[in-house]
Amino acid sequence: MLRSDQILATVEMIQKENLDVRTVTMGISLLDCRCGSVDETCRKIKDKICVYAGNFVATCDDMGKKYGIPVVNKRIAVSPIAFVGAGFHRADFTRIARTLDQAATAVGIDILGGFSAQVEKGMTETDREFIAAIPEALTLTDKVCSSVNIATTQKGINMYAVAMMGKTVKELADNTADQDGFGAAKFVVFCNQPGDNPFMAGAIHGLEEADAVLNVGVSGPGVIARALERFIRKHPKPRTLQLDKLAEEIKQTTFRVTRCGELIGRAVSKSLGIEFGVVDLSLAPTPTIGDSVGEIFKILGVDAVGAPGSTAILAMLNDAVKKGGIFASKTVGGLSGAFIPVMEDAVLAEAVGDGSLCLEKLEAMTCVCSVGIDMVAIPGSVDADTIAAIIADEMALGVMNAKTTAVRLIPVPGKEEGDHVNFGGLFGASPIMPVRNVGKSSRFIAWGGRMPAPVHSFRN
Amino acid sequence: MTKQMIISVMSKDRPGIIANITGAVYRLGGDVADLNQTVLCGYLTMILSASFDPEVTKEDLVAAISHIKTDFKFEVSIKEIDPATHDEWTGTPEETYILTVQGPNKAGIVHGISQFCYEHNINIFDLATTLKSEQYTMALQLDLKKCTCTLETLQKELEEYSRQSHLTVMIQHNDIFQVTNEVTLH
Repeated sequence: MLRSDQILATVEMIQKENLDVRTVTMGISLLDCRCGSVDETCRKIKDKICVYAGNFVATCDDMGKKYGIPVVNKRIAVSPIAFVGAGFHRADFTRIARTLDQAATAVGIDILGGFSAQVEKGMTETDREFIAAIPEALTLTDKVCSSVNIATTQKGINMYAVAMMGKTVKELADNTADQDGFGAAKFVVFCNQPGDNPFMAGAIHGLEEADAVLNVGVSGPGVIARALERFIRKHPKPRTLQLDKLAEEIKQTTFRVTRCGELIGRAVSKSLGIEFGVVDLSLAPTPTIGDSVGEIFKILGVDAVGAPGSTAILAMLNDAVKKGGIFASKTVGGLSGAFIPVMEDAVLAEAVGDGSLCLEKLEAMTCVCSVGIDMVAIPGSVDADTIAAIIADEMALGVMNAKTTAVRLIPVPGKEEGDHVNFGGLFGASPIMPVRNVGKSSRFIAWGGRMPAPVHSFRN
Repeated sequence: MTKQMIISVMSKDRPGIIANITGAVYRLGGDVADLNQTVLCGYLTMILSASFDPEVTKEDLVAAISHIKTDFKFEVSIKEIDPATHDEWTGTPEETYILTVQGPNKAGIVHGISQFCYEHNINIFDLATTLKSEQYTMALQLDLKKCTCTLETLQKELEEYSRQSHLTVMIQHNDIFQVTNEVTLH
């Protein structure tokens, strides 16, 4: 048996820090489902999802009970649908979205990702039809999430797609104006999108993946926050604790957290007979009090999230999490960094309300973490070109730094700075974040074309 | 055909006890297969299994140990294992659980929890306790193979036990502790 102090350290983590496995996401390839008609294609899609994921939720629950660590979310990611439905038209893609929604309900999961396209270099006629279908598809479905990859470090930025994304975000929000623009919360624009990320809304089952695979998202930031608090309490004397020691504590806690995620993910994988993919080390906050990345900023020494020092703290946190997790797991992948989704993190949302966190600081912080400007509610009056330009800036950060970045903005119809929006549940709530310099980027967006790949992408 | 014996020894702790006992076994041509020892309040207890040629008897071994020069007499108990009636020892079960019990020190904690295990036909495989600043901590490694109820029911009953005894009681799969504390990932 292990030593008592080792046992107690783990007990403390489970008991007091609400250790969980944030998500187990099953990736399913639908590339072999394309048939001559959309009806037949939809039937095959539904059948395939039900065959692979029929016992998925029950198995995750069983393993959660066996090990005493709950699997909070059970999700599915499918091959990017623009590839699955090559040659189909706008209305066909909407029908596929409804089929995906029905399949998700049939297997008992809450969110399904992969209603997606990859247009970082060029765009086929199918891609255009697909993108045109996104607003209606997400309005008519509950569980389907959509993403479009419009930039990579290798290929640069597709600026036509950037302009289209601005319009898509606006249309999604306007279509769901009665729900405060909730449709836009299910849509995310990517640079360097990974094909094995288990977190929503950007999960897809990449073209490079096997027929089916299980990817795991580890426990949230609450565990790290509690471990840091406990560690700081143990060092009450001034100047006995420095940042390198705190980074080490984050690293060790992440090691433990990652190991639990991998253990349970592999147990589910073995039980279902589906290949285990990766552990994604991302710290994904939820609106629950005590499960916030924002809280870690305060624990580590800034009194307001967004105050000078915030970017440095986030950089250290992100790095320490990776160092602990990479050693713990056999296969790390996905996004693997701290998330700062404003609406989903109560402390970040509060910082927007008191004015300490602005869009520009948020953008700066995304240079050192994953995933980007995520779940930010902005005034409904912000125009499509301004949204496109915010997306372009974030894409540029991803392209130049060879990292994943993303944008999920919700231009809340009829709401302005000072108002508040609440989607409830995991999607959270936040005051509206002001956007400066609105309407001043249209000439830039109108150029279209491609922003060339950076010089450091030419490595051959 | 060899003869297997289980030898239990207790003595006041001092350097050289294991060397003395295994020396006695060695001189009789014995081969030590497994040995476990622990020290509590300055007293050492050890249990070892060893195999001997068939002509070596229990009495030979007792005599060999009693000839060891020592200030504190060894308390020795030896059992010969009869292969005909001995169930094959299968080692640590594949799945074990760790039960932790924490609370202020009071009489009867170990008895209470071990009685709970007995009533549920749970075998205690290993047990360690620590007392620090009047806080009592107990960690038990359990084999639930023959447990009379499901894990879910057991968890509920432990919650009830925890409420009534004012002790913090938690049961977790052993694998959780292994993966979070060991470098090797099995």
